Parts: sequence; C-alpha cells; structure tokens
Amino acid sequence: MNTAVAGAPELLRTILRHEGRNFAPWVLIATALSVSSVLVYPWIFPELSDRVALATAIGANPAFGMIFGPAFELTTSDGFNAWRTLALGGFLTGLGSIFAVVRTTRGQEDSGQAELLASGVLGRGSRLLAGVGFALVGSVMVGIVSAVSTGLCGGNWEDSFLLSATFTATGWMFAGVAAICAQLGSSARAANSIAVGILGALFLARGFAYSIEAPDWTVWANPLGWMTETRPASGDNWWPLLYAIAFTVIAILIAFALQYRRDFGFGIIPPRPGPASGKVRSVLALALRINRGPIITWTIAFAVLGIVYGYFATSVHDILAKDSSVAAILAAGATTPEALTSVFLLTILGLVGIIAAVPGVQTMIKVRSEEMEDRVEPLLAQAVSRPKYYAPNVLLALLMPAIYVLIAGLLIAALASSADIGVDFGDTFLQAVATVPAVWTITAVSVAIVGARPKVSIAAWVGVLAAFVLTILGPTFKLWDWILAISPFWHVPTVSAVDADWTGLIWISLVTLFFLAVGFAGFRHRDLAVS
Amino acid sequence: MSSDNVIEIENLDKWFGKVKALDKLNLSVERGQVHGFLGPNGAGKSTAIRVLLGLLKADGGTARVLDGDPWKDVVSLHRRLAYVPGDVSLWPGMTGGEAIDLLGSLRGGLDQKRRAELIERFELDPTKRGRQYSKGNRQKVAIVAALASDAELLILDEPTSGLDPLMEAVFTDVISAAKTRGVSLLLSSHILAEVESLADRLSIIRDGRIVETGTLAQLRGKARTTIHATFTRVPEVGALKSLHDVRIDGSKLTATADADKIGEAMKILTGYGLESLTVEPPSLESLFRRFYEGDEGEAAA
Repeated sequence: MNTAVAGAPELLRTILRHEGRNFAPWVLIATALSVSSVLVYPWIFPELSDRVALATAIGANPAFGMIFGPAFELTTSDGFNAWRTLALGGFLTGLGSIFAVVRTTRGQEDSGQAELLASGVLGRGSRLLAGVGFALVGSVMVGIVSAVSTGLCGGNWEDSFLLSATFTATGWMFAGVAAICAQLGSSARAANSIAVGILGALFLARGFAYSIEAPDWTVWANPLGWMTETRPASGDNWWPLLYAIAFTVIAILIAFALQYRRDFGFGIIPPRPGPASGKVRSVLALALRINRGPIITWTIAFAVLGIVYGYFATSVHDILAKDSSVAAILAAGATTPEALTSVFLLTILGLVGIIAAVPGVQTMIKVRSEEMEDRVEPLLAQAVSRPKYYAPNVLLALLMPAIYVLIAGLLIAALASSADIGVDFGDTFLQAVATVPAVWTITAVSVAIVGARPKVSIAAWVGVLAAFVLTILGPTFKLWDWILAISPFWHVPTVSAVDADWTGLIWISLVTLFFLAVGFAGFRHRDLAVS
Repeated sequence: MSSDNVIEIENLDKWFGKVKALDKLNLSVERGQVHGFLGPNGAGKSTAIRVLLGLLKADGGTARVLDGDPWKDVVSLHRRLAYVPGDVSLWPGMTGGEAIDLLGSLRGGLDQKRRAELIERFELDPTKRGRQYSKGNRQKVAIVAALASDAELLILDEPTSGLDPLMEAVFTDVISAAKTRGVSLLLSSHILAEVESLADRLSIIRDGRIVETGTLAQLRGKARTTIHATFTRVPEVGALKSLHDVRIDGSKLTATADADKIGEAMKILTGYGLESLTVEPPSLESLFRRFYEGDEGEAAA
C-alpha cells in the first residue's frame, strides 16, 4: 500500500465507529422529508383539482421558488416529493458532509487528537482520506436509506432512487469542497464558515436563477443546478450525476495538493489578528458578543419565515378554498374564506412564536455551557454579583425572541395585507405583538431550570415541546380545553374579535414572573460549575 | 478575628453529594504576606479557593475574606481582590486583549501602564483569539488581567501551570513586585519549588484538611534529615527504631531522622563502626512527601 495513505483504512473504521452517529441525524432528516412527502401528499391533495390549485399557488409565489426550486410536476406524489425534497434534502446532506469532513480533519488538529494520530504510523494523506471517506460513506447512507424508505412507502422506485441519488451526489461534492476548505481555514470554525458559506451561496443562486428565469448557463454553472436538472419524476435524467462525480474527484485532488503544501495546524489563509484592546466591557455586551452568530442567523431565519408565510397567506384562499383536508389542519372550524385566512394567520403566528422561543432557550442553555466551561468563574471573581451576571443574559433570552416574532409578524402582516384578501395590517401585527407574552412564558421555563436545576438542563426545552404539542397538534387530537390551556399560546386572544379577552395574557405573565423569580433565586443560591 | 488577616477560614466543611471535599479546614493569611497553599491534585485547594470567591457555598464553619463574607459581600470584596484560575478558559472568538479589558472593566478599571508592561514582559500577543492560544498563553492572559488590577489580595490557583521556565521566572519577579506594593497573596500549587522562593508561610492540605502550617523555617524544623552511612558491621533493622525510611544495601544505609532524634541516631550508628557518613539538611520536599504519601508511606517508615 502507498505509504502516503498508510493507516487510512484503520482510521476510517475508527471514525465510522465513533463519529458515525453524528451523521445519523442527517440520514434521518433527509429520509423523513422524502417519506413524508409521498405519504402526506395523496392524503392532503386527493383530487386532481386540488393538485392543480397547489401548482398554481406555488407558481405564483416567488418565495417558494427561492427555497424549493422550480416545481416541474405537481400532479403526482413523486413529482411533489421531487419539488419539496430535492433542494432541501441535498442542502442538508451537504451540510452533514461538510461538518463530517471538517470535524474529522481540521477539527482534530484544533483539539490535539490529530497530533497523537500523526505521530503514529500514519501517512501524510491518511487523515484527510479517512475524513473524506467518512463523508462519502455517510452520503451514500443518506441516499440508500432515503431511496429504500421512500420506495417502501409508496414512491416510484426509479424516481425515488434518482431523487435520493441527488442527496448522495450533493453530499459527495461538498465533501470535496469541505476538504479544500479544511486546508484554507486556520481553524475548524473558519473552515466550516467558508464551506457552509459556499453551500448557502450556491443554494440561493440556484433558487434565484429559477425564480427569475435567468439564462440556462446560470443553472449549469452551479453544481446544485445539476441536481435540479436530473428532474426526478419529470424526465429522470441520470447523466448530470456524472458531473457531480467528476466535481467530487477534482475537488478531492485539489484538497490533497493543498494539504501537502501546508503546515500541520495552520491554514493557507492566516487568521487576522484581532484588536489588542477590548470594547466589550459589560456583561450585557459580552452576552451579545457570544450570541452574535445565533442572533444574525435567527434574524435572517425569521425574515425568511415572515416572507414565506406572508406569501403563503396571500394564496391560502386558493389552496384552502375548497373543502380539502389541509383546511382541516391549518384552519380548523373556519366557514367563510375570510375566517379561513384569519384562523390560518392565527395558527401561523402561534407557530412563529413557538419557533421564536427556541433561540431564547438556546441563550439560557449557553449560560449553562459557559458556566461548565469555566468562563463564568473569572467574571464572578470580578465585582459582578450573580444577579447582575444572570440578568443581562435573561434579558437577551427574552428580548431577542420578541424581536424575532415582531420581524416575522411585520413581514407577514405587510405581505398578507398587500393582497386583496381582507387582511388588515394593524390587526395582524397586533396579533404578533399579543403572541410575545406567551413566548416569554416558554422561555422563562428555561430561565428557571438553568437557574435552579441546571443538572436537568435538558428540561429547559420542556416549555417549547409542550407548547408545540398542545397548540399545534392538540386541536387535531380533540383534547379538552383545560389541557390545551397549559400552553400559554392558548391564552393569546384573537385581537380582531369583537370580544377579545386580554386577561389571559395577564395570567400567563404572572406565570412568567414566577419562573423568572425561581431562576434568579436558584442562580443566586447554588454552587457554580458543579455538575 | 484579627484584622491583620486577609483570609481567615475556620472549620470549613464542603460536601459534593456524599464526598467530603473540605473537612474542618483552617487557614489564615496575614496581610502583606505571600501564603503558599500546597497539596496534591484533588486535595481540595480549588474547592477552598472557590468558597473564598463565593462560587461555592460552605456547608459548615466560617470563611472571611478582607473582613467580609465571601458569599454575601461578593461585589465589594471582588473589587479588592483578583483571581487567576488554574485552568483558564477564554472566549473562543475574543482576543486576549479584549478578555483582559473585559475582566478589568467588570472590576472597575485596570492600570493601563501596568497592563502594557505585563504584556511586554510575558511576551503575550494580545491580538490572538482565545481559541488560538496555547495553555501557557491562556494562563498569561489571566495573570496579566489579575496583576494589572489594583487589587489588595491576589488569589492564584496553580498560576504557573503551562508556563515555561523563563516565564516562570518573570512570574516570580512580578509577584515579588506585587508583594512590594503591599499586595497579599494566596498562592496554591502542587509544586513545592514554585512556592518555596515566594512564600512567607505555607499550609499543606491533604484530603480536605490542613495537615501542617507554618513559616518555611518552622516547617524545615519538622522535616527529617536524610542520613547516608557505610558500616564495618551491618546493623540489625530492629536496632534502628529511631530512624525512618530505613534501607540497607550490603553495608550501606540510607535513612531519615526527625530533627529531635538526630543525636540519638548518631549514638546508635557509631556503635556499628562508621566508615563514611553524609547528612543532608532537611528539605521541604521530604516533609511534603511525608504528608502526600498517605498511610502507605507512613507504614513503610
């Protein structure tokens, strides 16, 4: 065996055994996307007329084109699956592939594991080969599991295999991209940022090219465009996959060439030196600083969410006008088209609120992880009392979700009221505002847990989970009101109603205050950084 | 309690679940002194220090820092003390310079001139990010942040772990300078030599208790003298009861003796026809070992 890659098979086996489970979620998500399409589509859109209405609504909505790409064929469940799953499934497999390669190559250099390995009997190229091999194997797993599951659940076998092959191909190409980025970046984080940035840019470029019907070359210049052009269920072109294989091989060869030129532990792009003195001089400024990445990401996510749901609301008439089963889920009990849209908006804003609680809980979980990584200790060794440390973090955990809800609410209100469907801007935005106290109640659960019982910090998610199950799924299970009332979102009034009852918000805010008090008292009296 | 003591701990207990981390710990540090706090890993040094910082709540006994209660008077006390943890964890995306300024600002300001001097002396690059620093450099960031403050008490938990010998020398220098400014120090370590040159007084902790405390001279008095001797007649082990750690190899003997038993030991040894004799002055190392070795060490003696 070539000495340059000595030890690679053993290393790959070790990686598959110890890191394999990190790839499992990507396999599951991509499979779930595909399987759910073929299962749900015939159920929600049983009639051809429903399907044509859906195709028209999607065609009229540029936001869908940006995210899912073009809909070539929506009258079959395989065509629907190809539209709904191809772009996202590939994107997710690509992400999994990037993280797998970077973690097992560049990431090991940062953590020091690679130094132990490299000092053993291991060729210069072995670590990179094993890391890339891991991502290639993982991507193949995504393809096989997704194809077989989709076929078993009723998908056409060829369509399902081609669709799933595009996931694998995307995973392969981005294993190559990540392998190059792992040589460029000076840390695992930098390498991940570059690779995910490339994936994101190509994803947006593809959506944009199809939405504005740009010239053909803009599609063919984009590796993700090749995937869309395989057209599962509407032509079944297998040959663009050959491009993907060629791309993968070339990218991996470039990565190896770069690796031989670079020093261990260094990247080809040197890190920029930072400021020698700091402007972060308070706990709040620090909290903003360490949450900066998530804040930017979530702000963008909620803007996108607002645009998609806003557009969706304008076409909800057409999709739901008939007595279809979608209406039963999204707008239960509505009788007139106006009432339908109004109930739909209420459901959507509730969903936005529940999603907005996630970054709030994340902020609190971060407080705990900072504590366990010994970064809170030096702060509290300064003239900072515990409440003064906890308060700015709690403030951020409450304030940011509120801002996210308002961003999404503003966009939904603006887009929905711009169409002639009887939606009032003021009412819709006010509805978003009325959702905020419920978001706070859910976030406050995590404030209480992290403050008082951090050992069970997983329980910080209980609020989000309960709200989702009770508010979104609860009504379809026909649960009693007193159970549904456990979710704070049940108490959010319909602001456009004549007899809107606002007292519910006062009650849930009292609960919020109680949870906050428990959190602060707990954080004040407990031992820190003890697991 | 005496106001001359900056730290006063009496009968301090701390439990972690069923494990007793501190067991009736007593410790006092006089104002203006450097107090060495010695013990093996896991003896309870960091636990005691975390109680002094108000990070852990004591389960029994009392702890006073600068005449205040470390649990209740956190803010007022922490304005007057600075701390260097044993394992420094920095914010991955923030530079060392930013971390120093953040910690300084939270206390109420840094001496900018001393900050610059210390960065220079420790050859620290303040423009690197937290995730890029080696262990030693992370340690330097914490040391600069602590020493650039105007604290009257410094609590240092194994501050030189990860520093190279040159930097350790710089560290010794800046600590001496701090002492000259009138700063009191609690300096924990598991390496005796590090503390020996700086400390006025020492306390040795084992299994959560202070087993010995005193000045260097006092502790030396308690340490054993090492004796190497060669004989014409090989002595019986039973006859050497006043000696410790006896090892006989042919006609050669190596043993240790308590300070007050040296005369007695000499009388016995001369009876066997001494050919050569070397007596090593008592080292703290030997004392230190005596307390570290635990019951097995004692049984072998």
